[in-house]
Amino acid sequence: MEFKDYYQILGIKEDADLKAIKKAYRKLALKYHPDMNAADNAEEKFKEIAEAYEVVKDPKRRTEYDELRKYGGAPGQGFEPPPGWQNQRGGNGFSGGEQDFSDFFNSIFGGHDRGFQQGGRPKTRVNKGQDVELEVPIFLEDTLSAEAKTIEFLVPSRVNGQVSQIKKTLKVKIPVGVSDGERVRIKGQGAASQGKGVNGDLYLHIRLVPHPLFDVQGHNLFITVPVAPWEAALGTKITMPTLTGKITLNIAKNSQSGQKLRVKGKGLKSKTGVGDLFAVIKVVMPPSTDEQINTLWQQLADSASFDPRAQWSNEK
Amino acid sequence: MSNVIWNISFDELCQSAHIDEELVIEVVEYGIAEPVAGQSSQDWLFDSTNVHWLKKAIRLSREMEIDWVAVAMVIELLKQKEALERENKQLHQQLARFL
Repeated sequence: MEFKDYYQILGIKEDADLKAIKKAYRKLALKYHPDMNAADNAEEKFKEIAEAYEVVKDPKRRTEYDELRKYGGAPGQGFEPPPGWQNQRGGNGFSGGEQDFSDFFNSIFGGHDRGFQQGGRPKTRVNKGQDVELEVPIFLEDTLSAEAKTIEFLVPSRVNGQVSQIKKTLKVKIPVGVSDGERVRIKGQGAASQGKGVNGDLYLHIRLVPHPLFDVQGHNLFITVPVAPWEAALGTKITMPTLTGKITLNIAKNSQSGQKLRVKGKGLKSKTGVGDLFAVIKVVMPPSTDEQINTLWQQLADSASFDPRAQWSNEK
Repeated sequence: MSNVIWNISFDELCQSAHIDEELVIEVVEYGIAEPVAGQSSQDWLFDSTNVHWLKKAIRLSREMEIDWVAVAMVIELLKQKEALERENKQLHQQLARFL
């Protein structure tokens, strides 16, 4: 086990007072707290900082730690607590939390320091196992009916103080009408309790998989409909895909690019009803034109009195 | 097959490790998480999304040692950020199809 220099981790001097310790901790916590910093190593770093703070802010624990540090503790070096170390004193009420501290911390303060195990405040509730959160990608099509989905995930398990990850497979019925970013709970599928409490829960964080054709806004869907300039001008009927099959869509005469046509009830399902599908018209030029077509465009240009930049005419 | 459960009761929520009743009441009083049903605290029901924010709030208050007003602000901003990120992603995707 490696010796941890808590002063170095917090970037403070050995004789720093509580005010300086708090200041250093807060500064680092702001930088590395997993809620503020999404980088992969931020959580690890934050745990280290929180552990250092947990020791250094507590005068009793700090004295103990300083003593150990004086006798041969140096960062990066192997460390074994002196024999009989853990029997030196009784519990002092660990402030607790969901933190899981390093082996180094546990070798010094573990056992006798974990609050309610001996002497600490009486427990009113049985500790529940840890909850597990998992991102689950769902296809748009699958939100329309209650789909059974097999998910695989890792659950932390603690055996004799060692934490390991156990792979679990579960068949889940994803309810109709889930939306992006929503979290749903599956009771009792989280980590097992360390005591006699019940299992933690599994929380699924629903992520809708981007669709090749449809975009989602709330419970409405959007599809871009490419049309030729003459289709937009003369109007037409087109066959358009929806999530549940093809439909016929009327493009009116003189349709504009960007115009939205609403198809009622062809959106996503929600708990209260069903959304709509919006077809957004996009006028597309043919990629290349031959002589004959160019002549036709020229005829159009000569006879149409249309200024698409009329709005600019007032500008100088 | 496991079925999804939408709501979690006040009691169940408090059973989760290290969430005291008073903490939950405090978080609700500051509007950080709102019960979806229930008049008195004992009848409160929370949905899973609220549980997520509630836990985050309690963690922030403990680990950052900031008061509830500040926690409420942080949570509100995080919620807004999440919504904006989602909207931004959707609009980008839509724009790419249109251009």
